[in-house]
Amino acid sequence: MKMFVCIKYVPDTSEAEVKVNPDGVTVDSSRFSFDINDADNYAVEESVLIKEAKEGDVTVVSIGPKKSDVMIRMAMAKGCDQAVRIEDDRIAGHDPLMVAKALAAAIKGQEFDLVLTGCMASDDGHMSTGVALAEELGVNHASMVKKVEVLDGKVRAHRELEGGLLEVVELELPAVLTIQTGINEPRYAPIRGIRQAQKKELKVVSLDDLGVDPASVGSDASMVVLEELYIPEVESSAEFIEGEAEEKAEKLASILVKGGLV
Amino acid sequence: MSTESQTFTEKYDLLGCIQCGRCTGGCPVTVRADLNVRRFVYDAYYEEKLDELARLAEIWDCTACHTCAVRCPKGLKPLEVLLGLRTMIIESGKVEPTVRDALQSVLLEGNPWEKSRAARSDWMEGLDVKIAEPGVPVENLFFVCCTIAYDPRVKSIARNIVGLLNKSGVDYAFLDESETCCGSEVFTLGEEGLFEMLVEDNTELLNEYTAKRLVCLSPHCFTTYKTRYPDLKAEVIHYTQLLVELLEEGKLNWKGDLQKTIVYHDPCYLGKQSNVYDEPRTLLKNIPGVKMVEFERSRERSLCCEGGGGKMWVESESKKERLAETRIKDAKALEADIVAVACPFCVLTLEDAMKSLGYEEEMRVAEIMELLGEFVEA
Repeated sequence: MKMFVCIKYVPDTSEAEVKVNPDGVTVDSSRFSFDINDADNYAVEESVLIKEAKEGDVTVVSIGPKKSDVMIRMAMAKGCDQAVRIEDDRIAGHDPLMVAKALAAAIKGQEFDLVLTGCMASDDGHMSTGVALAEELGVNHASMVKKVEVLDGKVRAHRELEGGLLEVVELELPAVLTIQTGINEPRYAPIRGIRQAQKKELKVVSLDDLGVDPASVGSDASMVVLEELYIPEVESSAEFIEGEAEEKAEKLASILVKGGLV
Repeated sequence: MSTESQTFTEKYDLLGCIQCGRCTGGCPVTVRADLNVRRFVYDAYYEEKLDELARLAEIWDCTACHTCAVRCPKGLKPLEVLLGLRTMIIESGKVEPTVRDALQSVLLEGNPWEKSRAARSDWMEGLDVKIAEPGVPVENLFFVCCTIAYDPRVKSIARNIVGLLNKSGVDYAFLDESETCCGSEVFTLGEEGLFEMLVEDNTELLNEYTAKRLVCLSPHCFTTYKTRYPDLKAEVIHYTQLLVELLEEGKLNWKGDLQKTIVYHDPCYLGKQSNVYDEPRTLLKNIPGVKMVEFERSRERSLCCEGGGGKMWVESESKKERLAETRIKDAKALEADIVAVACPFCVLTLEDAMKSLGYEEEMRVAEIMELLGEFVEA
């Protein structure tokens, strides 16, 4: 089983205050902590589980800065075999189609059975990169996968649909699967494993190295223009009603009536 | 016998054990968990049993309080056998998600609380804090602790001491965001590799500052630096030791009075692991108006609050009464108004127990520095 797993280095915005930079289209990330995108972490684990069950080889592919190497080394400590990190500022990172083209360039021309990636990035939440990647590679895909069964020349994917439905599909390999969180329990990458993973190959490449025309994945090629980022204004407020139960009920009823809601 | 087994046996000196049972006889968690540390010391000798032993849930019940080590007549540390078994699990990667996330956070952000390194000094906001500079000699270099730096409940420990230091004219400095976890809980969770890395990196970082003493606010950092960092140049002390010096020099000026009964709970990492018993008591009894009482189990016999040994990230399966609840009930029986502690973990566990017992109206859990913040001029 020859696999690729595509991962993204993302900021954790749950703790630090999000501030938009003066340019209006980027965010001040100086106070954020960064880590592997949550769903991608499950994709890494799934690739390693498949490798452990069926034997095989997993290559990590990521677009990101040098400081994301720690994330890649952690994936290799867990069992991935080698990695390619694309470092090139010319990629229009806000457009999933451009990102997919760059990722596809790192995979194309090599044999593979499966490409796994998270179903969504926690920073931009597009949920499109994996599907676009399948299109770029010209292979089948299934998104929001909660369970994977590898069969002979095929894969059975259990997809999570809206309304709590589960869809089971079979895909001819090669295929791209976008992995939903909760499919497994990602393991810990012990530091000794990370140190051993230093011996594994981590190739850093540019668009030129991949033979990609920068113009084809840059802002000019993108049909998405990021015009403005802003923090939504608070348009309503919350009121805590104090008092005994009866008192609270009366006050609540009065608010609802006054507001014309009942 | 394989090399690995010899290593385990040699590493923990298993053949030194005479199976006297003083370890299990003193282990505080035996009242609520199936942990039998003597059995582990015995069984770990057999190489073929190690994997099976490592999979037993009770290896995670140990709070690393060190009672077993204090009581061992052979000077062994039975608890470290459990930590060695935890290491086997950690290195397999198959750990509880809470443990995984805490350890990963230490590696990536320098703290186990999944907080950004950039926010480490946020506790200083609005305060006039002297920041250490490499190579500039300083008498007292402070080490805040991840929990005190990030947890809003215990931040006041650091904030209060700054005011007191400025007032007393002590030569001191704090580290900036470069301060990184001491690894106390990393060690007890069994992540040996990460702990070795922290010892190496922190020794290099701290030795860059020409400090005479490293003053730790948490007993966990204090004991870890004192006992597990062989190449650290500075002498390591706990802040209560520094404050007693200031008290003796007449540099602490009391204000107001506290007409309350206080019982002091000895934190395991300050008391039985580092023999600091008197300084916290000296500070407390000097607060005007205070009446001190003692737990029946105090000093080296102090009951563990179950906050150490990585237990902040591992939930016990036992549904029996928590030791912290036992402790609070004991305090209640002594009619104590305040349970004073000198450890951020003890604050969190004991306060939680006090609330779950419904005593919050009549009792208070306070870190010594919280009380001094209220009763010493700053």
